[in-house]
Amino acid sequence: MNFLSLFVRNLVHGPYTDPFPFAPAPTAARFRGKVAFDPETCEACRKCERACPTGAIRFERTPEGMTFDCWHDTCVFCGNCAFHCPTGAIHQTADWHLAHLQADKYLQVEHGLIPAIVCSSCGGKGLDSAPAIGKIKPPLSPEETQELRSLCPKCRAKYLKDRRQRA
Amino acid sequence: MTNLPVTSESFTIPVGPLHVALEEPMYFRVAVDGETVTDVDINAGHVHRGIEYLATKRTLAQNMILTERICSLCSNSHPETFALAAETIAEMEVPERATYLRVVAGEVKRVASNLFNVAILAHLVGYEALFMHVMQVRELAQDLKEAVFGNRMDLGAICIGGTRYDLDEDTITALTVALDRLEPEIREIEKTYRTNGSIQRRTRGVGVLSIDDAIACGVVGPVARASGLLQDVRADAPYHAYDRLPLDVLTLPDGDVWSRAMIRLHEALDAIVILRACLRDLPDGPINLGSDPYVPPGRAVARSEAPRGELLYYLKTCDAEEPERLKWRVPSFPNWDALTVMLSRAKVADIAIIVNSIDPCISCTER
Repeated sequence: MNFLSLFVRNLVHGPYTDPFPFAPAPTAARFRGKVAFDPETCEACRKCERACPTGAIRFERTPEGMTFDCWHDTCVFCGNCAFHCPTGAIHQTADWHLAHLQADKYLQVEHGLIPAIVCSSCGGKGLDSAPAIGKIKPPLSPEETQELRSLCPKCRAKYLKDRRQRA
Repeated sequence: MTNLPVTSESFTIPVGPLHVALEEPMYFRVAVDGETVTDVDINAGHVHRGIEYLATKRTLAQNMILTERICSLCSNSHPETFALAAETIAEMEVPERATYLRVVAGEVKRVASNLFNVAILAHLVGYEALFMHVMQVRELAQDLKEAVFGNRMDLGAICIGGTRYDLDEDTITALTVALDRLEPEIREIEKTYRTNGSIQRRTRGVGVLSIDDAIACGVVGPVARASGLLQDVRADAPYHAYDRLPLDVLTLPDGDVWSRAMIRLHEALDAIVILRACLRDLPDGPINLGSDPYVPPGRAVARSEAPRGELLYYLKTCDAEEPERLKWRVPSFPNWDALTVMLSRAKVADIAIIVNSIDPCISCTER
């Protein structure tokens, strides 16, 4: 190898390192960074909680509904949650900025709430979660989806059973 | 541990557990007579993390991530072989496209891993300019991994029944551009290692492992091939799509440190040929069998060719989601044993070079 030509090449190129933090570091579009959660599309199936190898994801039932928490300090950014999510409600952003003050360590959380509802049919308890549409044929119309969202799990099952019989 | 006599001519030198070759913790008790090594005692276990036990407390899906974190440099080979074992139990047919995608992930890791090892060799020889140059070339592979898989080391490419990632036009372009930039650089690096006087003087005829010793120690991977032992899982028992790809297994007769470095550089170049063939032949179709394929109770052994050699997995599943037993034999494990042969009659100054030449992966070996 001609190190003289390499020397000239490197001299012309300048430093190979990124000038971070004085300039933004280039990040790939596919970079697997912090987890983001969208309660609108979540089915509350809790597959992500079971797939998470570190226990960073926790669901909890509260009077307000089902809460979702992903602890960024526990997360290893493997993306198993996003891979197992049937609706794409959970995904990884390209944001890798994790530096924070010690005082803020319990605030490094992605939080979401799937609100509790009163079933519009029977008045029982339910969640405003997205219907599990995986194997439903024909696909739900937006109106049907909206109606299902207002029902409790029991009434949802009944609604879908009736729909299957109609079809 | 052997009790070595201490006389005025012979000494016992503790090497490690910190700072041997890769700055990973391994403890060598080296008995020397003047400048010559007479006996070596290897003491392992400094980074034992109990992952084998932990694996039996995690579901198969979680173990895909756990096995990936056994080791950083062969982080794709572990879940790959684990998935092969699970697929054997479930008698799964992995989609054609996924087999090619798995080869892509594995070979990209091989390029980066082998370049890392030859870079450290230059560092140990004292040729810092070459060390930094090889690491800079390796950075092309690292940036490529970040662009295609989203992470520089833990690719997260494999799942049971296929792959998690797919290639689209952008990532295929990124791969092609990176390979076109890597190939001439690695060719130049290979030429330097072949001809440079400093490298030659420190590595030729050093740490010799004859073919008989190689067979006796059961060494695998580049260490075996550098001793003239034709052995590569990709050729002997083709998995994924390797039976349809242009695999060129090289052996060298000398069995010294230099041969092992040349084998690694050749394999980095051959990986580029394989990657180009993969991109050319990549079939269409699904990339996996859904996120949660069922794995029934059963037992299976699977093996693959990691950058360091044959990686073997034993998986026993039961009715529960967690495996009953997961055991792996990593390539560094048999290769450690060969160090006692390589180090005998070696010079003290060569210890680090010889230890590095087996590309030791301590986090793999001790898990």
